[in-house]
Amino acid sequence: MLLEVKNMHIAYGDIRAVSGIDFSIEQGELVSIIGANGAGKTSILNSIMGIVPLKNGKIVFENEDITSLAAHQRARAGIRMVPERARVFPRLTVYENLMTGVYGLRKTINLDVQIAWLYDLFPILRERNDQPAETLSGGEQQQLAIARALISNPSLLLVDEVSMGLMPKLVDQVFDVLKQLNDQRGLTILIVEQNAIASLEISHRAYVLETGAIVHQGMASALLEDPKIKEVYLGTGA
Amino acid sequence: MQLFIEQLLNGVAMGSIYALITLGLALVYGILRILHIAHAAIYTVGAYVGLFLFKLSGSLIIGVAGSMVFCALLGVGIERFVYYPLLKYPPYVPLIGSIAVMLAIEELCRLVAGPQILTFQAVLPFPQFQIGGITVSSTLTAVYCITALVLLLLWYITSKTELGLAMRAVSQDIPIADAMGINSHLIVSLTFAIGSAIAAVAGSLVGIYYNQVYPTMGTVPAYKTLALIVVGGLGSVPGAVVASLLLGVAETLLIGYANIPLPRDALAFIAMIAVLMWRSEGLLGSR
Repeated sequence: MLLEVKNMHIAYGDIRAVSGIDFSIEQGELVSIIGANGAGKTSILNSIMGIVPLKNGKIVFENEDITSLAAHQRARAGIRMVPERARVFPRLTVYENLMTGVYGLRKTINLDVQIAWLYDLFPILRERNDQPAETLSGGEQQQLAIARALISNPSLLLVDEVSMGLMPKLVDQVFDVLKQLNDQRGLTILIVEQNAIASLEISHRAYVLETGAIVHQGMASALLEDPKIKEVYLGTGA
Repeated sequence: MQLFIEQLLNGVAMGSIYALITLGLALVYGILRILHIAHAAIYTVGAYVGLFLFKLSGSLIIGVAGSMVFCALLGVGIERFVYYPLLKYPPYVPLIGSIAVMLAIEELCRLVAGPQILTFQAVLPFPQFQIGGITVSSTLTAVYCITALVLLLLWYITSKTELGLAMRAVSQDIPIADAMGINSHLIVSLTFAIGSAIAAVAGSLVGIYYNQVYPTMGTVPAYKTLALIVVGGLGSVPGAVVASLLLGVAETLLIGYANIPLPRDALAFIAMIAVLMWRSEGLLGSR
């Protein structure tokens, strides 16, 4: 088991965002957590990353309890995230944004190889290399955020609402890239998404989240066929 | 003409000193978005510790270096024990905390060193120049060289090193910087250490320049540097430097040379009001 989350509780003041969920991800899996806006999906990712504190529960990563580790220590341990709305550093250039992704690790990573690989994956970033990230379009920023998360060769990639605000064509492209990373490089990926169809189509397994609790789980292909899920989350009707 | 050039040289020196004090304030605002009024108190402590260590050791280098270390620790202490616990509150809460720390440190200086003005008689080990009948004193040379060195070092650190990249990342998005493996709290502390060490240099320089060290020497700079970071553009380090140099020159030329009947210290605030009315983002600020 690469990641195991047990009895996760997250609250903001008195407002409960996530109440006691359990889930796990195997090495090499691509797993989705789908659910409506406000179901608590982003809170889950942020607390795995360590930038939102757990109220209760336990997070085990590579057989080690990381619950008490700070976010920067978890990043060093191999967890990286693509945040909601990309959140690239607006006044750093594209290249500098990528460099933040290998902060403290430059000596242990072959930077030339990584940058060549990422610029082949997202050619637009090569063109924009010296531009401040704030001058990039939404889709370009999203690609930069993915590249920034990948540059350190993480063992677990957390992807938060990557489809938000993107044109449908771009959504497909980004999901294709994630699928490729999982297929060809064996990268373990956890996606949280409102766009249930797009994420279920590339996932092995999925969890369905409703107001902070897991209400369904199973193979992604089975969930795609489930009439109840179809009606509520895929918006296609039975 | 000769008087004009001499005044201009003095003005640039004044502006350089303003820049050294304002730098710390701009750095701290840039990274934490709080108005670090107590920074001026660190500058006062810098002058006292510099003077004390100089008298004790007889070496100006030991005096200033020791003062830099002391003030760096003081700055980090204020960050850890005052600002950090208050960051979760609205920005006026750390601001009030900062004013309290400023007053407390001033009083502490008064209690320890006495209310009287102390003299800081030291000769800065810099050459004196004579160009066409104009004398550039060794103190002026020292102010120019030290400011240039500090600015150069700071530019190098922020734009060419991994630490500088982390500082810029943290100033733009703390949680995401953490998620990139950057220990942002450590970076914030280092920023305070750097800004406070520069304030110690400024305090020692001013003490020697005017041959005066006293408990309230930070009061006027506290408010003036606040005006300066607004004029320069909040959080913009280059803006703070430009605004400081302009103010130093303007104060010296308009009031010292052109004899405009205004109190010297009023100029900074007139500039601040003008900037707030017509260019609220400041000279080099964004948005």
